[in-house]
Amino acid sequence: MTEAREGACARDIIMEGIGNLVGDAKRRFGVVEISPEETTEGELLERFVHRDAWSQRGLMVGAPLNLRQNSRYIRHGESSMTRNVKPLGVYVHFPWCLKKCPYCDFVSFAKKRDEIDHAAYSDAVLREIEARKGALETTSVETIFFGGGTPSLWEPEELGRVLDALLSMNRITDVEVTLECNPTSLDPDRAKAYCDAGINRFSIGTQSLDAKELSYLGRLHDASLAEAAIDGALATGARVSSDLIFGLPDQPLERAVEHAERLAAHGITHLSCYQLTIEPGTQFGELAKIGRLPLADDGRVAQSFLAIDEALEKKGFSHYEISNYAKPGDESRHNLGYWRGRDYLGIGTAAVGRIGNVRYRNEPDPARYAARTKTMKPGLFGEEDGLSTFEETLDAETLLRERIMLGLRLKEGFDLESDAQELGVEALSKERARELEKLLTKGRVWKKGARIGMTREGWLFANDVAARLF
Amino acid sequence: MSTPQELIRNFSIIAHIDHGKSTLADRILEVTKAVSDREARAQFLDKMDIERERGITIKAQNVRLRFTAKDGLTYQLNLIDTPGHVDFNYEVSRSLSACEGAILVVDSTQGVEAQTLANVYLAIDQGLEVLPVLNKVDLPSSDVEGTRAQIEEVIGLDCSDSISCSGKTGVGVKDILEQIVLKVPQPKGDPNGPLRALIFDTWYDSYRGAMIMLRVVDGTVRKGDRIKFLSNKTDYEVTELGSFQPFAVALEEIGPGEVGFIAANIKSVHDTKVGDTVTHFANPTDRALPGFKEVKPMVFAGIFPTDSSDYPNLRDALDKLHMNDAAFSFEPDTSEALGFGFRCGFLGLLHMEIIQERLEREFNLDLITTAPSVVYNVYTTQGEVVRVENPAKLPDPQYIERIEEPLVKMQIHVPTEYVGAVLALCQEKRGTQKGMQYASTDRVIITYELPFGEVLFDFHDKLKSVSRGYASMDYEVTGYQPENLVKVDIMVNGEPLDALSIIVHRERAHTRGRALAEKLKEFVPQQQYEVAIQAAIGGKIVARETVRALRKDVTAKCYGGDISRKRKLLEKQKEGKKRMKQVGNVEIPQKAFLAILKVD
Repeated sequence: MTEAREGACARDIIMEGIGNLVGDAKRRFGVVEISPEETTEGELLERFVHRDAWSQRGLMVGAPLNLRQNSRYIRHGESSMTRNVKPLGVYVHFPWCLKKCPYCDFVSFAKKRDEIDHAAYSDAVLREIEARKGALETTSVETIFFGGGTPSLWEPEELGRVLDALLSMNRITDVEVTLECNPTSLDPDRAKAYCDAGINRFSIGTQSLDAKELSYLGRLHDASLAEAAIDGALATGARVSSDLIFGLPDQPLERAVEHAERLAAHGITHLSCYQLTIEPGTQFGELAKIGRLPLADDGRVAQSFLAIDEALEKKGFSHYEISNYAKPGDESRHNLGYWRGRDYLGIGTAAVGRIGNVRYRNEPDPARYAARTKTMKPGLFGEEDGLSTFEETLDAETLLRERIMLGLRLKEGFDLESDAQELGVEALSKERARELEKLLTKGRVWKKGARIGMTREGWLFANDVAARLF
Repeated sequence: MSTPQELIRNFSIIAHIDHGKSTLADRILEVTKAVSDREARAQFLDKMDIERERGITIKAQNVRLRFTAKDGLTYQLNLIDTPGHVDFNYEVSRSLSACEGAILVVDSTQGVEAQTLANVYLAIDQGLEVLPVLNKVDLPSSDVEGTRAQIEEVIGLDCSDSISCSGKTGVGVKDILEQIVLKVPQPKGDPNGPLRALIFDTWYDSYRGAMIMLRVVDGTVRKGDRIKFLSNKTDYEVTELGSFQPFAVALEEIGPGEVGFIAANIKSVHDTKVGDTVTHFANPTDRALPGFKEVKPMVFAGIFPTDSSDYPNLRDALDKLHMNDAAFSFEPDTSEALGFGFRCGFLGLLHMEIIQERLEREFNLDLITTAPSVVYNVYTTQGEVVRVENPAKLPDPQYIERIEEPLVKMQIHVPTEYVGAVLALCQEKRGTQKGMQYASTDRVIITYELPFGEVLFDFHDKLKSVSRGYASMDYEVTGYQPENLVKVDIMVNGEPLDALSIIVHRERAHTRGRALAEKLKEFVPQQQYEVAIQAAIGGKIVARETVRALRKDVTAKCYGGDISRKRKLLEKQKEGKKRMKQVGNVEIPQKAFLAILKVD
């Protein structure tokens, strides 16, 4: 990047920040009327920048993470701040896999690729998008994530129709569009086809590079297929991430580290390293309930977590979220949205969305989903929309608890005071203040200015820490 | 104007828990139009939230009703509701003393139960006219004839014109009222004699001070009268008079035979005494009415605030509750492990649970309640007798000459098929069989003498489980007996946790200690370091359990679809932490302090 471009980026970011600040101020006070279009940049800078308000929305000047990351999507065209609209992330769910993995608790159904009616599913999703387009028109979609299931089974052309619809009403051009992929369904040609359809980031479910481990996890691919998929994705020029699962029974710590390093060596810039968690309602969950699942020792899992952290940080990856590593600027912007409390629209079978204080979940049965998109009511979220089968209205205290739970997962932490202020509730109740004090003394939590986050050691007890601050 | 005595009937309803007493009371209120449909709610007389939620009556309530009988006359009926649970027996005898009659409600699907019997004997002892009523006749499993036979056989009451009714449908309710008018004797006080009235309940009203519920026997009490309590000779001016109909209604006077309440600027319920006689200051009586046996707490437990800064709030809350419930006692206590708190005395386990729940609910306190203990008489080598109501305070063995433990006479009603299991349970609890009697061809009344301490340790739950819920029990403390008892101490990471000490029979001490340590291991959650739990008898370790260290507590992924479930998980985790007490650096949950109740 040239200096001039960097300068331009920095200005854009500042403007973005101002947009957000104005938004914040409006939400908070309800009366601030500043149109960035009517005010010169200089005035705005005068009004806001010098009040050291940068940390307000997690936009810390000087934090390379945010600088680089934000610069990616406000390079050209109308940036969201000039319109002063709320940012939004869109999640699109594809509910089929070739085979259901025994640890997976996402909604998916095993089906052969040619038995899936790709066009029919796209039609249904497009009907839902049409009904929910109000949310898209009043916001700027910063990121789109195709997850599943195995969305890399979806015919690129059909996926492309959905993506076009989403992008056609959007006001910014540089949108992060991620596709979750299974190595078995991603060859170089297919990767290229997805890029042509608009995908610019691949997230590849490698999980392990060891044959035994892969079979324990019920995966259909082997190491070479996974590595080929990664290379193929990289060849398109898109950003590439890969998943690993560690904490498997009998897995030596060195092997967990080796897998992470080997994937990093391919040139990917993002890695998700999940410790195996046994979720209720999965095959593993059922086996564990009756004591029939071999499991790794907790202590060893904790050691692996720390060893991977050390190895990847050495390779220039930042451990920016409990389970995620990225080269600076290549963080998953979509997922950062969840952790920073951004609104998200869920589209597709079983997709979950949260708009404002309403969270909804779409009908989880693919056939019923398709049918219900035909009769759903536009402009609504939750059970009234005719498509959701679950909804919850979140009060301010609950929203704050979610911010705490999610914010603590981030290396950058979160700003408890300003989140609480934004939600109109008390940040530090007597009890929470007391717990925070204890956690600080114990070294589980750090506090820098207004921001709070977990220490590296605290991350090992993330649930405990979050529960104490609830 | 007060009602002439020939038009007054005072009665109670006695019944086993769940036999439908409160529902029947609701129907009676309906029939007499005391409660309009708009005001009607289930279990009208149970005012406390806990009472309605648990479906039990704790404080006796009473209500004045008007009923026009078939003879064309309108009567004043005073219904005095009584609690059904064994812990609140004393409330029953108080209520009965204000009456001339009682309706005995027996569930015709269940038959006579242990508490029915206990309460009916109380009523008969006090010379009340007892009218048997068979309830729940609307249910298909109702056995009216069998239940009648049982009442005649077991209690010896004539059931030839007993009424069949249903509190649910209202069938028979009017007939009950007619029978009350006909059979319950009218009060026979002396209207012109000096005032004699019996205090049978008191409670605290934040605006009026202590309130007195009384039954006037002789004379009349009027607003403005100067009254005197015979027991402590204190005197007050009556500022208000009234009766519950069922809402409080102000009256000018309460005449002979009538029931009502008075307010007289009395500061605290402790200035009044249930069972005391009220008379006029100017023209006093010299004949006190028979009072009551004073109730003494039988069961003691420590109550500590989870957060020690709540100690003053806990004290205030106990003070307030005590104003309303003279049966419970408390005094400051300290525990090395739990810090400052109170040692509280209760009538029984249910009473203890209720107090704890009221403290938490009405005063918003997070509490740790320790395992309940009975009161031991300890004879020291110095020749003293020490009452030990807290195992932690048991003197060292070398200073003890002998320990006496309280015994109860336990009556258990049980269908014949479970007799074997019940006898086995009583034997296991160190009981001595005192008798066995057939209540009917398929029901047996078993009488046992049991150490009260063993009854506290989960006896009721076990009885219910070995009899599949069919057995009912009732007991009274009968005396003390020397036994070979020792103290079992619990240590957590080497530190003695005094609140967990128990006193048990020497022969069972080892097994109990081991079982308790095992139970505690189940209850103490993994901490971020290893926790050792040990049981010791007289300094000798007899059991050790280890809670392994928690090495990680984290969920791997958390994206849009996971947030809700994960948040709920953490909210639950948080809820669990609330009831934890930090002891040293180990967090111990409330339920661990009651672990001994769950030990087999």
